[in-house]
Parts: sequence; structure tokens; C-alpha cells
Amino acid sequence: MAAWTFKTPMAMASSRSRAALSLAHSAATYAKFAGAPLKVQKVSNPWRSPSGHLPALKTQDEGDLYQVTKIITHLRKQKYNADYDLSAKQGADTLAFISLLEEKLLPALIHMLWVDSRNYVEHTRKWYAEAIPFPLNFFIPNQMHRRSLERLQLIRGESWEEEDDALEKQLYADAQECMTLLSQRLGTQKFFFGESPASLDAYIFSYLALILNTKLPNHKLQQHLKTLNNLCQYCNCILTLYFPSDGDAVPRVSPKKPNPESSDTEEEPHKRRNQILSVVVGLMAMVSYALLSGIVSIQHVSQDSALERSIALDDNVDDEE
Amino acid sequence: MSLVTDAFVSQIAAVEPWPENATIYQPMKSEQVLLSDNASCLAVQAFLRMCNLPVQVVCRANAEYMSPSGKVPFIHVGNQVISELGPIVQFVKAKGHSLSDGLDEVQKAEMKAYMELVNSMLLTAELYIQWCDEATLEEITQPRYSSPYSWPLNYVLVVQKKWEIKRKMKAIGWAGKTLEQVYEDVDQCCQALSQRLGTQPYFFNKQPTELDALVFGHLFTILTTQLTNDELREKVKGYNNLNAFCRRIEQNYFEDHDKDSASGYSTRLTKGPVLP
Repeated sequence: MAAWTFKTPMAMASSRSRAALSLAHSAATYAKFAGAPLKVQKVSNPWRSPSGHLPALKTQDEGDLYQVTKIITHLRKQKYNADYDLSAKQGADTLAFISLLEEKLLPALIHMLWVDSRNYVEHTRKWYAEAIPFPLNFFIPNQMHRRSLERLQLIRGESWEEEDDALEKQLYADAQECMTLLSQRLGTQKFFFGESPASLDAYIFSYLALILNTKLPNHKLQQHLKTLNNLCQYCNCILTLYFPSDGDAVPRVSPKKPNPESSDTEEEPHKRRNQILSVVVGLMAMVSYALLSGIVSIQHVSQDSALERSIALDDNVDDEE
Repeated sequence: MSLVTDAFVSQIAAVEPWPENATIYQPMKSEQVLLSDNASCLAVQAFLRMCNLPVQVVCRANAEYMSPSGKVPFIHVGNQVISELGPIVQFVKAKGHSLSDGLDEVQKAEMKAYMELVNSMLLTAELYIQWCDEATLEEITQPRYSSPYSWPLNYVLVVQKKWEIKRKMKAIGWAGKTLEQVYEDVDQCCQALSQRLGTQPYFFNKQPTELDALVFGHLFTILTTQLTNDELREKVKGYNNLNAFCRRIEQNYFEDHDKDSASGYSTRLTKGPVLP
């Protein structure tokens, strides 16, 4: 079985999809649990994913897949199934807890990374701006900030302002309640359904690992998660078991760190092309400025009239002779 | 409900007992109410009946605009106004009535998870079908939603609401779904609920909880409402234990109190009592 190529945001670099990194990790974690051979490719330019969405899975027979559920379904079809041992009731529970995560934890996660003004300015924007290639890094972070805010407004009612304390508190209270519920559900078990991990563990781990391992200036969720010992242990256990010595399993902790893996990204082959492109764009800008402001003007002279004039000139010369 | 009101509610509300004149407000049932609103109203009514709290039902054409959160139904108890099932459950709990006290922590977590499943799948699917499916929008939603208003307000409000729902669908990634995929999601959700329920009378065995009230509100509404086609109803009908579950709650909590209320409740779209 040939390995699939799995594209994931580089160091949490850009993606159009919501809470990109956590989603990327739920798919990758699932693949690890199921033992599927994957080649992970880190992408820092969101336009380079086949569909404009990350994460994406490149397959040989079905083309490119880009939604977590689709990716997991595809892996399942290829007999990489982490849910094989679950009973029907446990399958139903999986669906229910995924809804709980998406309704309660995801909005707070989006707020934490993209809307909270301190976190966004000091952390997320810097982080993304460093990872995304040149002209895009100026507008993609802002675009994502706006989209996240709009998304929260749509989910939580139209009256949401950027600094609405009451609603913000409610959002975080919901998320904290959700983590407490997860902790109660996990209890003393190793994974959510006993001794072996299932797809639900992949989803939950991807959210919790992001909260646990990111250093943000304003981090209420992390503070709360650290009080829930069994969940912290659970995260660290999955990290050591399934992502040994894989630095990127953990979202990079600070935006300033040099990126040792940058050589294995696919940016290098296009370096020359990018240089040429930027020179061309610069030249075109200068030329069009010169044209528009009238420093240089082009007079259009048709060939016939030019010919006539030269003949006329010839005639004059003849006359003088 | 914000945390401030939360704290206020738990302090003040606990002191006062449940008053006789508690009222629940909802849209006009025969000509206005939509599938999703009907489901939410029925869920709250079922919850209050399970708690054995008397409440008077009042139908108002502008209930949506009277509600503090813009969503129906809402209850008026003493000097408090609370909307939607979640906050109402909290409020009632502060008054000392709770259906989920007998559950252990794991069960409570599971109950919350299943409630989110119903909200994120069934409620969203209902909203999708009534606002994003053109046939349903034209035949059912538009005339019913705009029934209390005259021209030109009736058109303006429908268009406004339609865009609001469409933007919401886009934000949660449902905009690209086809009607078939939505029915597929409903089926998946019903399958999960059916498997969880198994052969028990209620989701957590002998006693009903707020999850039972919520599931009943949605499934009973879907089962008794005539839409442009039967596909949605057929999806739910396929699960025998869910049908029996709906009938059990209807018999235990609606027919005893008042012979006609459950069937009278369902909208005019109903073609008589449709429960099998």
C-alpha cells in the first residue's frame, strides 16, 4: 500500500478552515491510531492545498480529500479503522461527544486564537505572518480574524461586539464546562472507550493538545485544563505513544523559534520562481505608474501614415533637388 | 443567559417557590409556527410537565420579538423572563426541581453530549429544510412566517430571516450540503439516538431527563408535521423504538393532563394524528 500524502498547516500556518491545526491533527492522529502509512507534508501557503482547505489528504484512487470526516471515512474504507472494536452504543456516543466538542469547545477555541485582542495581536497574527509567504502574510491573518469574529457572531447571536464581556464569559464558561464533562467521562480510563484509542480520542486529543501546548498571553482555557489532571495525563500519554520525537505533533509553542524543519517543506523549489515573480510585479508597478502619471507617454502611430509621411519627406527632398 | 444573571437567578430564584401564574409564550400554533420553533416549544413544555410544574400556554404572533434572546419559546415566571431550553433547565434547577439529579457524573456528561447532538444535527437540519430548500420555503415557510404581517413587511422579514439562516449555514459548513446529505445526517443522528435508547423506556432508564424532553420535542414534531414530501418523516419512522418512545411520553405527560393538548398542539400541517 502506497503511502498517502497528507498536507497539514506548517507550524500552524494558514488555512481557510476553522481552527485549522486542531482539525489537521484530528485526521493525523486518527491515521496514527489506525496505523495507516502517511507522508506528512507541511504547507505554509493556503493556496497550495488542492482545494484551498487544510488539512488535505492526497490519495491515488479518490483524488484529494479535504474534510476531516471525509478523510477519516476514506481511511476507514481502506481498512485503517480505529473504531472496529466499538459497540453500536459506543459509536453513538462518539457522534454525541463530537457534537459536544464542536458546539461548546470549538467556539471558545476560535475566540481564544483569533478574536481575543491580546492573544491575536501578540501571538496568532505574529505566528501566522512569519509562516505565510510574503505578499499573503499581510492580509490573510486579518481576513481570518474577521471571518472568525463573523462566525462567532453568527453562532452566538448578531449583537456580539468584539469586546462583549458577558457573552465572552458565557463562551468560556461553556468551554470549561465541556472540558469538565470530558474529564468526568474519561474518569480513570486510559482512553475514552477503554484500553485502545478510537476516532473520538483523535478528535478530543486534537483540541486538548492545542489548548495544553500553546503559550498565549491570555489563556483561561489552559488554566482550567491544567486543573483536570486526568485529561492532562491523557494528552501527554497520546503524545508520547503516538507522536514520539515528532516536534510538530505539538503546535509550536512560540512564534519566534527558528524553524529547523523548514528545509523539508515544499517552499524551496519555488524560491527562484517567487524571486522572478516579485521582480516582474515590481517592474510592472513602476511602468504603470510612469504611464499613468504621464512621465512617459506612448503615441500610437499607424504604419500606413508613417509610410506616407516618409514618402512625403522623400518627395520634399526630390523637390529641393 | 449571562453569568451575572446566572448568579442572580440562583440566589433569588431559590427563595421563591414556583408561582401559579407561570406562563410560556410561543408563536401562534395553527397558522404561524415553523417546524424548528414547534420542536423547541414542545421540548420546553414536555420538560416542565416532566418536572410537574404547571404552566399556562399563551400564543402570540410576535413571540419571537418578545423573547429576550430572539428565540422561542420563553417563560415568564414571577418577575423573570427566560428563553430557550438550556437556560430554562438551569432556572428550574435553581428553584429546586431537577430531572437529572439521579444521574452519576459520567451519565451527566453523556446527557449533555447527546443534547448537543440533537441541537447540532436535528435542529440545524430543520432550519436547513425550512429556510434553504426552495420548495419548502415557498410552500410552507414563507406563508406561515409572514402570516401576521401585511405587505411589504411580510416580504422584508422573510428575506431578512432567510439570509440570516443562510449565513449561519455557511459559517457552520452546511451551505454546500444538498437536501439528500441533510436527510442522511438526520438518519445518522436518529440511528445514534435509537442505539443509545435501546430497549429502555427513557434514555437513562426509568426516569425521564431533559434529554428525553428535547428528543421528544424534535421527533414528535417531525413525525406529526406534513412537509412538501415525506422523506424527513420516513427517516424517523424507520426507528421503531424512537416511535414507541414518542408515544410513551405523549401518553404519560400530555394525554393525562389534557386529552387534546398533544394533537391540538401540532400544527395545521398535520394530517390528523400521524403517530403509528
